[in-house]
This record gives sequence, structure tokens and C-alpha cells, in this order.
Amino acid sequence: MSTPSNTDPVVLVRDVYKEFRKGETVIPVLAGMDLELLPGDYLAMMGPSGSGKSTLLNLIAGLDKPTSGSVIVCGQDLGKTSQSALAKWRSRHVGFIFQMYNLIPVLTAYENVELPLTLTPLSRKQRVEQVKTALEIVGLGDRMDHYPRQLSGGQEQRVSIARAIATDPTLIVADEPTGDLDAKSGNEILELMHRLNEEFHKTIIMVTHDPSAAARAKRTLTMADGRLVSDIQNSTATGTTA
Amino acid sequence: MKLLTYIWRNVRRNKLRSGLTMLSVAFSLALMTILYGYLAMQAYSQREATKHDRIVVLNKLGFAAPLPIAHIGKIEKLDGITCATPYSWFGGNYKGQRSPFAQFSVDPQKVFDVYSEFDIPDDQLAAFKKQRQGCVADKSLAEAMKWKIGDRIPLEGTIYQQDLDLKLVGTFEAPGNTGSLWFNWNYLDEELKNSGAGNSGNAGSVQAKCTSAKAVALMSDEIDAMFANSDYATRTRSEAAFQQLFASFLGDVQSYIRYISMAVVFALTLVSATAMAMSMRERITEIAVLKAIGFSKQRVLALVLGESTMIAILGGLVGIVMGLGGLHLLSSVPMAASLFPIPVIELAGSWLWGLVAVAAAIGLVSGITPAVLAAQQSVVDGLRQVV
Ligand SMILES: Nc1ncnc2c1ncn2[C@@H]1O[C@H](COP(=O)(O)OP(=O)(O)O)[C@@H](O)[C@H]1O
Ligand SMILES: [Mg+2]
Repeated sequence: MSTPSNTDPVVLVRDVYKEFRKGETVIPVLAGMDLELLPGDYLAMMGPSGSGKSTLLNLIAGLDKPTSGSVIVCGQDLGKTSQSALAKWRSRHVGFIFQMYNLIPVLTAYENVELPLTLTPLSRKQRVEQVKTALEIVGLGDRMDHYPRQLSGGQEQRVSIARAIATDPTLIVADEPTGDLDAKSGNEILELMHRLNEEFHKTIIMVTHDPSAAARAKRTLTMADGRLVSDIQNSTATGTTA
Repeated sequence: MKLLTYIWRNVRRNKLRSGLTMLSVAFSLALMTILYGYLAMQAYSQREATKHDRIVVLNKLGFAAPLPIAHIGKIEKLDGITCATPYSWFGGNYKGQRSPFAQFSVDPQKVFDVYSEFDIPDDQLAAFKKQRQGCVADKSLAEAMKWKIGDRIPLEGTIYQQDLDLKLVGTFEAPGNTGSLWFNWNYLDEELKNSGAGNSGNAGSVQAKCTSAKAVALMSDEIDAMFANSDYATRTRSEAAFQQLFASFLGDVQSYIRYISMAVVFALTLVSATAMAMSMRERITEIAVLKAIGFSKQRVLALVLGESTMIAILGGLVGIVMGLGGLHLLSSVPMAASLFPIPVIELAGSWLWGLVAVAAAIGLVSGITPAVLAAQQSVVDGLRQVV
């Protein structure tokens, strides 16, 4: 597979501050964050609980807006985009993977993966094709009609990965995707993430507490108190060693 | 997969809660179907009553006041009148039950000419005309009471100090279920005379058939003018006006029905809004995930409103079917038949669609608050609930 010739950054975070207001009190969470991700990057975010990892991830994914500074993703200045336009933008550019999988319990694996595609103008036939492809990539082609409760945690997370890639987004954000899984299932998920990056050139940001998981990304970023502590290029990011 | 599939799965998600909401909508809509069915029957009877050019003559003082039988001869002589019969409420007890069905004394020679739209086999009519103690009954009444031709039907007098020993000689079929039994006016009157009980010679009321629709109004005035200066002045009405008078004894039913319905709809909306709010509270994270994936506010709104509306409409449909079943039962029970005389099939009309719309409105309105809350809910806060 060839590397994309386009080297414009996928993610460009410039001097971002984010604070939350609870009545009178102001909680500063991000204090001057800068970050740049090129196409095909695979970034692991680490740091103590409460250091602002999820907050930064949410800003990059267009779920929230910065208090100041700019977040430009896939060429879109997210801070200046309306809520409804952001919803549409997310459906085209971002795939989400959550710690608790967050599949819709009343929908089958197939339907869960199809859900984001129902927001696109694809024909029914194209949708079927993309859902099947996504489920086959995650190795669940034979579980399409299973409901989430009929799947193991690891399988559920694989379905949620299929859901994240079904629309073929540029960017995939994963907030502690292995946090709720046993070592073996977690490893399978990391394996898949690696494939998405290597084989399908997805730009990935993954929050994790596990140093060995972070080691399999291309880059590890460490945060503390809403600030960048370190940003290291992982030299041996082969992804095949645990 | 369509949004509708997802909505339907959500409806079935908490079967107990959805089921209970549906049931409360169903019971209320069943009640409303019966109430509005009653109104539809009134309207139907009104239309029906204008078809047959009949008039009803009462004593000016009201139902209970007597009307001499001699009036009938005079009324029948009028040009605009085809024929007339006495029609007097007996109100007797049957086998220890207090007046379980309507009983009227009539003139067997005339009554089926006045009620020319009623069907009775010729031989049975002949028997009714000939046998002093013979009686005929509405076919549905006879079926409900399990009477066969030839059965004896003893009635115990309540208004009159006179018991009757009747024999069923025939059954008739009317456009609606009248729930009535007709017997010979002469039989009762002769017995009253023999026993010296008094109040003999009372026609109760007179039902007469006019020659034309035009004659109905003319005859009403002419009859009342004719008896104006007699001891027994009359008040004559068209059959339709008479039915309206009868219905008005129940009070302003239309308004009552409207008030009751409004109260029911209001209570129901609160009930289903509560159920819907509970459902949405359990799905805060799920809604956040949908919005993260790219669901617009409108789509979330449609998802929630669709669910509440689907529940209400399903419950409403069940209720309307239950209500129609209830109306059917009521129209075949002799005691209720005089209030609900019309077969349900005849009543089907736009008012049923109105009730479906009421159910849909309950669903929509009850879904608005939870739907708007879900649509406005912050994605980030919703997602933080998990972690
Ligand atoms: N929506 C919010 N409202 C108020 N405080 C918040 C909100 N989101 C995050 N925070 C606060 O911001 C800090 C960082 O949170 P978060 O980004 O979730 O940390 P991490 O993911 O690194 O554990 C925490 O102190 C948290 O309580
Ligand atoms: Mg977090």
C-alpha cells in the first residue's frame, strides 16, 4: 500500500484552552495545547486520570468546542462550525470507538454497523457491501445477526470498530478501547487498530492507560494537568509485539 | 435498516412499560369509542327518524299524562295521516327482573303499517292480529332471551296493577335493535276494565305515519290545534324531534362526553409522557452515541416522537377495536339496546379516524418534552456518564 501523497495535517490543534463552568466556578482543563497529526499517524495519548485526554479527544472529534485557540481537522475549523454542521461533518470524517463499546442493544451487529451509513446518501446495495466488508475486516462476518448481548466484550468492541470504519472516515478516535477488556481480547483490538493504520491508512488517536498498548502506536503523547508533558516517536512501532 | 425499524425495536425494548402505556391508552380510547359511538348512534337515529314520515303525539303535560284512545280515530281521519297506533310503555317485571326489556302495548292491526320498514313474516303477523294474548318481539331480543315461538312470557305489572300472560307468536326485524316487545293494547285495556283497576282507555302515546315528509309538519300543528281545547290537549312532534327530546333527558350528553374525553386525554398524555421520560432517562448514553455518530437533532427528535406516537397509536387502535366490541355487546344486550340501537357496522365513519388522531396526538404531545430534552442533550455530558 502506498503512503498518501497529501501531507497537509489531518489534525491541527493550536494554543487550545478549554474550561468548564459549573455555576460560579471555572474548571480549567486544557491550558495551551498544541498538536499536529499527519495523514497515517497513529497517536497514543497517556496521562493520569483527569489530565484532559478525553477533553482533547472530544475537541478533535468535533464533539465539543475549545474556549480559545483553534482546532482544525480535515481542513475544517471546528470552533467556527455550527452544531448541526458539526454533526454532519462527524458522520463523514470521524469514526468513534468507546471504552464501553456503546452498541445499540436493540440492533443486531449488522444494523449497528449500518447505523452511521443511514446518514449518508449511499444506496441500499452500497450500504450492504460496506457493512459486510467492515464486519469481515474485524472478523465477525459470521455474527452479523447477533445482538450485542449475544456477543462477548471483545466481539462487541470489534463490532464497534466495524461501525467506526463503515463510513470510511479519515480519522478514528478511540477513548480507552481496551480499558474494559481482558488481555487477550484487548490484544485483538490493538491488532485491529494496527491494521487499520497500516493497511487502510487511517489516522488514529487512541487514549490508553496501558504503556504496552501505547507502545504499539507510532507516537506517544503524555499529558498532565492539561498540558503536554512529552511527545515521543515510538521507534519500534511494529504493532506485532505485545 | 430504516429509522422505523429502530423505532419499532425501541417500542418493544421495555415490553412491560410500553405494554402498560398501550393498555392505558387502549382503555381510555375504548371508553371514548363507546361515548362517541353513542353520539354517532344519536346522529344516525336522527337521520333514520326523518326517513319514515312519522309523528309522535303525547299529552301536552308530558310522557306520564294519559292520552284517550278516542284521539286515535280522530287523528287517523286527517288527510295527511296514513295510519296510527297507540304506543304505551308497560314497564313490567319479567321472572323477578325489574323491567329487563322494553314492552309496549300497540294496535296489532296497524303497528306494522306505521313501522312499515320493520319485517315480520306474514303468518306471524296474522297470528299477532288474531290472538288476543299474542305478542311479537325484536328478533335480537328473542335471541338474547332464548325465546321460541309459542313460549309464554308472563309480565308482572308495575305501572298498571295488572299482570299479563303473553305468548310469543312472532319476531320482527328492525333496521336497528329496538330491544322491544309489542303486545295487544286491547288485551291490557280489557283486563284493566274487568278488574276495575281504573286508568283504562289510555293510549299512552300515539305513533302515526304521515302521507309525506311535507305532511309531518302540517299534521303536527293540525293535531295540536284539534285537541287544544279538549281535556287532553296534545303536543305532537316529528319522530326525530321526539328522539331528541328523549335523548335530552340524559342531559347535555354531548358536553359531558367532551369534558370527560378532555380529562381522559389530559391524564393519558401525562401517563405516557412519564413513561417516555423514564425510557429516555435510561438512554442518555445511547442518545449521546447517536449524536456523536452524526445523528442530527431532528433525527433524534423523530426517533423519540416516533416511539411515543407508535405506542399511543397501537394502544389507540386496540382501544378502538375494544370499544367497537363494547358497542356491539351493548347493542345486543336487551337492557342497553334502547340506548345503543344501531349495529356497529352502520356506525363506522370519520369519527373513528378522529379517535385515531386523538391517540396519535396523545403520543406526539407526550413525546415532545422527552424528545426535545434528548435532542438538546450535550453529547459530551452524555458520554461522560459511562466513564
Ligand atoms: N463536561 C464537563 N463538565 C465539567 N467538568 C468536566 C467536563 N468534562 C471534563 N471535566 C473535567 O475536566 C477534567 C479532565 O477530564 P477528562 O478530559 O475526562 O480527563 P481524562 O480523560 O484525562 O481522565 C476532569 O477534572 C473533569 O472532571
Ligand atoms: Mg477519559
